[in-house]
Amino acid sequence: MTEMDPRLHAYLDGELRLEDLPPELRGRAVGWDGLLDEVASSAPAGAPLGLDRRVMARIRAGSEPANRISKWCDWAVRPRAIRVSPLAGLAVAAALVLAVVRPWAGAPPPSLDTEVAGRVYVQFLVEAGAAESVHLAGDFSDWQPTISLEDYDGDGIWSGRVPLEPGVHEYMFVIDGSEWVPDPNAAGSRDDGFGRQNSLLAVSSVSGT
Amino acid sequence: MREAQARQWTDAELVSSALDGSEEAYAELVRRYQDLLYRHAERMAGSPDEAEDIVQLAFIKSYRNLATCQNPDHVGAWMFRITANACKDHLKSRRGDGIRIDDAPGLADNTGDPEMELERSDMRYRINSALHRLPADQREAFVMKHVEGLSYQEMGELLGVSVPALKMRVHRAREDLQELLGEEGHD
Repeated sequence: MTEMDPRLHAYLDGELRLEDLPPELRGRAVGWDGLLDEVASSAPAGAPLGLDRRVMARIRAGSEPANRISKWCDWAVRPRAIRVSPLAGLAVAAALVLAVVRPWAGAPPPSLDTEVAGRVYVQFLVEAGAAESVHLAGDFSDWQPTISLEDYDGDGIWSGRVPLEPGVHEYMFVIDGSEWVPDPNAAGSRDDGFGRQNSLLAVSSVSGT
Repeated sequence: MREAQARQWTDAELVSSALDGSEEAYAELVRRYQDLLYRHAERMAGSPDEAEDIVQLAFIKSYRNLATCQNPDHVGAWMFRITANACKDHLKSRRGDGIRIDDAPGLADNTGDPEMELERSDMRYRINSALHRLPADQREAFVMKHVEGLSYQEMGELLGVSVPALKMRVHRAREDLQELLGEEGHD
């Protein structure tokens, strides 16, 4: 190990000023300042978007360590910074649009069903082939992922009917108890304040009242 | 609205409320400390994905053991210790030399000068690679001092380690980095 001059350590510890150092050490001190700036500036500014929500979803779901499938889903939907050149970015964006849109080309948005006691049953559908469970959470469930969807025939399409009050509702799907994903077929979306988009659904009374 | 109210609460009040069953109170604690814990984990693990896993598990462990937090006014320090230990456990369990694909050179911040960007990107890669070859205790102290900008006193309170011991770890980390970086004009 190469020992450093203790005065240099004292400078880097904030105990000495640059002008307190002998001239032969000042160049090294400035070099260290640059290196430390580089280390600090390459650190992330903060937690990735939605980390708090993912933590709370895991706590609500029993907080067991993720299995392989849910870890893959976690990785797949986790927001991350990707650095690419503009041309490569366009190519990747085009590929993503194709990959995401094609499987959904024929999928319907949530459909309104019969009205019961002022509420309207709404059919929710989502494709999540690799999932072990899918739940629905929204303002109508106080954002608790307690509404379970089912994949009865194993085709990867999960569905469930939920009675909702007329009005505009926000919702998301929760894959494997921890991954919150929006509905790609939603009529609209709204920022949730955590950097993600809640899906929007407008429910009107069947009787038109 | 509940969120805005919760932000006015002290840590101790949030801990008490969470222990009474309020998930929203614990969510507020998560929001309050996630940046600090994630920055530390990311610098320790060198990978955003691994850092998120570490922080998620640390928050879950904190939640499960919240009743054992002896000083709720400093629950953030308690959570930090749990995260710091999780980081070190993670490093021990990791195979190989710890250099992750995430450390590979990417484009540095756009300065408009491609050569300068390339040089800076390469420098970052070399620094990160060297940082991840430091012993865990040294890396932890170095990151807290020079990335998180904490004083030795603050570091000591968070880690429960004496100031002289932490100073020694940071000094050794600098000297090891200097050697790993092959002088680079830093000493």
